[in-house]
Amino acid sequence: MKLSSGIKSFLVLAIIAAMTAIVLVGLKIPNSDYSIPKAYDGIRYGIDISGGVSAVLTAPDGVKPTDDELETVKEIIDTRLEGKQIYDKTVTVDKVNRRVLVEIPYKKGSEAADPYETIADIGATAMLSFREVDEDKVDPETGAYEMSDKIVLQGKDIESAVAETDPQTQLAVVRLIFSDEGAKKFEEATGRLIGQRIAIYLDDQLVSDPIVNEKISGKDKAVINLGTTDREESIVRAKELAAIIRSGALPFKLEAKDVNHISPIIGENALNISIYAGAVALLLVWLFMLLYYRVPGLVADMALLGQAAAVILILVLTGMTLTLPGIAGMILTVGMSVDANVIIFERIKEEIKSGKTVQAAVDLGFDRAFAAILDGNLTTLITAVILYYFGTGPVRSFAITLGLGVILNFVTAIYGTKIVLKALAEIRALRKPWLFGAKGGTANV
Amino acid sequence: MFDYVGKRKYFFILSAVLLLIGLVALIVRGGLNLDIQFKGGTQIEIEMENGDFDANRAENLAQEAVGKSGIHAQKSQTLDAQNSNQAISFLVIKSSGKLTDDERNKVLSALRAEFNIKEDAEMIVRDVDPSIGSELLTKSLIAVVLSLVLLVLYIGIRFKMMSGLLAGFTAVLAVLHDVLMMVAVYAVFNIPVNDSFIAAILTILGYSVNDTIVIYDRIRENSKISRKDSIKDLVNKSITQSMSRTINTTVSTLICVITVYAFSVYNGIGSMEEFTFPLIIGLISGTYSTIFIASPLWELLKEKQAKKKASQPAKA
Repeated sequence: MKLSSGIKSFLVLAIIAAMTAIVLVGLKIPNSDYSIPKAYDGIRYGIDISGGVSAVLTAPDGVKPTDDELETVKEIIDTRLEGKQIYDKTVTVDKVNRRVLVEIPYKKGSEAADPYETIADIGATAMLSFREVDEDKVDPETGAYEMSDKIVLQGKDIESAVAETDPQTQLAVVRLIFSDEGAKKFEEATGRLIGQRIAIYLDDQLVSDPIVNEKISGKDKAVINLGTTDREESIVRAKELAAIIRSGALPFKLEAKDVNHISPIIGENALNISIYAGAVALLLVWLFMLLYYRVPGLVADMALLGQAAAVILILVLTGMTLTLPGIAGMILTVGMSVDANVIIFERIKEEIKSGKTVQAAVDLGFDRAFAAILDGNLTTLITAVILYYFGTGPVRSFAITLGLGVILNFVTAIYGTKIVLKALAEIRALRKPWLFGAKGGTANV
Repeated sequence: MFDYVGKRKYFFILSAVLLLIGLVALIVRGGLNLDIQFKGGTQIEIEMENGDFDANRAENLAQEAVGKSGIHAQKSQTLDAQNSNQAISFLVIKSSGKLTDDERNKVLSALRAEFNIKEDAEMIVRDVDPSIGSELLTKSLIAVVLSLVLLVLYIGIRFKMMSGLLAGFTAVLAVLHDVLMMVAVYAVFNIPVNDSFIAAILTILGYSVNDTIVIYDRIRENSKISRKDSIKDLVNKSITQSMSRTINTTVSTLICVITVYAFSVYNGIGSMEEFTFPLIIGLISGTYSTIFIASPLWELLKEKQAKKKASQPAKA
C-alpha cells in the first residue's frame, strides 16, 4: 500500500507534535505503569545544574591501575556510597585516562554532607585489620595506643559484615562473618590474648579496641561496637562500616585530583536562564527562516522543533547527563541545523529562477543538496566524536547534544522536510515562486 | 560577480596582520592565560550579603591568611531566578597554587572576620591538581590535532575531483586560521583559557570545515558541468552561488549563540559565557575564512600545481 503524500506528511507532523507534547508535559499511559516525566523533571542533570560534588580520582603517582582494578574500584565506590545512603550517584571509569569520576548530585531536602569528607572517605583504601595492642606504647599527645604491627587478621579473612541491633543495649553493631581461615586465626588470637585488648583499624583509624573476655570460636561470633551511646548515630555508622567492610579494600589509595563543588542554587538559576535563552534563540531562528524562506521556512521550523524535541526526548529516555555546556550545544545545533534546510532551499530557489516549475525545483533541490549536507554533517560528527572521547565531564555532554543534533538533523531536515514540502508543492495555491522565497526582482545573480 | 580569487591578497594580508597582533600579544604576555583547570589551583566562590564590598581588601586578607601571593579576588554577580529583582553577589577567590582544606578554611575565616558572609556561603569550589591540569591540556591539544588530521583525510577521500588532499589541506589551513584567530583574541584580551575554550575550538573546527565543504561541493559540481571554465572563474562562481547559504547559516547560528551569550552575560552565568564567547569569534572568523581564504587559497595552490605539471613534460 502506498501512502499518499498528504497522509505521510500528516504522520510526520503528528510525530513532531507528539514528541513536543511529551517533552513539555510528559506522558502517562492509562492502565499501565509506563510513563515519561516532562523533560524539565525527567532529564538527569550534571552537577553544574543540580548542584553537588564531582571528583576525579586517580591512583597515586607511579601506580598504573589495570582495567580490572578500575572496575573493582568502581564497584567498591558504589557500595561505599550506598552505605552512606547516597544512591543517586554516577561513578564512571575513564579507561583512557586511567581514573574514576565520581559525581554526587545534591539531594533536595537533605542535609548537605561535607563534600570533602565524602570524597576523602571513598578514596581511602579501607584496609581492615585486627591488631594486638601493646599497652606500654601510648601516643603521648592523644593518649591512644600506638598502632602495632602485630596483625591478628586482615580484611581478606573476612567474608562479609552486617549491621544489626544488640538486643541488650539497643545500639547498632557490626557483625563480622569470617572465612574459615579467618575464624581459625580469630580463635587462636582470642585464646591467647584473654584479658588484653584487640584493636580494630580501618586503614590507620582506630574503630574499636575491645578487651578479650574468652576464647571465641565460630565464623560469626565477632561483633564491633561503635563506641557511641546514641542509637540513631550507631545505626548510621554501623550501616556505613558494614558497607565499607563488605565492599573490601581498594587495591590502592585514591587521590582526588579535581574536586568541584557547586551549590544547587547556582545551578537551578543557570538552568532556568538557559531555558529562556534557548526559547528566545529558537524563536528568533524560526522568525528568520519564516521571513526569508516562507513556505519552506515554515516546514524547516517544524523540522527544527522535531529535532530539538527528539534530542531532549533521547536524553530523558536514556538518562544521559545534561550539563550547561550540553544545553549550549543544544542551542548551537538549533542554529547549525537549519543549515541543511538553507542549502536545500537555496537550491530550490535557484532551480525556480532557472525556469523550472516549483514541483520540479523541489525535487531537484533535495537531490542536489544531498552531497553537501552529508559531507557537512559528517565533518561535524567527526569533531563531536573526538570531543566525546577526549572530553571530561561537562564537555562530554556538549559532545552528546552536538552529535545527537547532527544525526537527527539528517533525518528531520532531509527526510522530514522532504515529505512535507513535496506534499505542499502538490497544492496548486502554494505553487507560487514567491512563496518559496524566490522573488524574481530580488534575484541575486 | 565579486572577484574573490583576484582580490585574495588583501584578505590574506588582513588575516596575517590580525594574527600577527595575536602573536605579539602572546609573546608579550608570555603565553596564554591558563585557567586553574589547566595549571592547577583552587577557586572558591563565596556568596555575599550584598555587592558592597572591596575585592582588593579581600585579596589582601586571603593572601595574609595563608601567606601565599598567588591569590586573586574579584566580584561577580548572578540574578536570582526565583526573584528577578534581586542579584546574588559573589566574591571569587582564585589561587594559582592548590589550597589544602586547612588553608581554605583559614581564608574563609579571615574573610568572615571582616566581611558580611552568609553561613554556609561556599557556593562553588573548584580544586584542581596541577598534574591533571597539564594532562588535560596535552589531551586537548591531541584532540585538536587528531581532528585536523581526520578532517584532511575525510575531505581527501570525498573531494578527489579537487585533488583530494590538496583540498583537505587548504580547508584545514582555513580552519587553522580560525583557531589561531580565537587564540589571538584570547591572547590580546588576556582571557583565561579553560576546557570550554577547547570545546569551542573543536566545535569551530567542525563548523568551519562544514562551511568550507559546501563551497567545495559547489566547485566539485560546477567542474563537472562546465569544464571549459578556468579554475579562477569556477571558484568565483561557486563562492557567489553559495553566498546566501553561507550568510544565512551563519546568521541563524550567530542568532543562537549571541542570544545565549547575551543571557549569560546579563545573568552572570560564567560557564556559558566562557563557552559562547569563543564560539562567536570562531563563527565570524569561520565564515570569513570560508569565503575569503579556503577556496581562493585552493585556487592558488591548484594553479601552481597545474603549472608545475605543465612545465615538467616540456622539460623532459
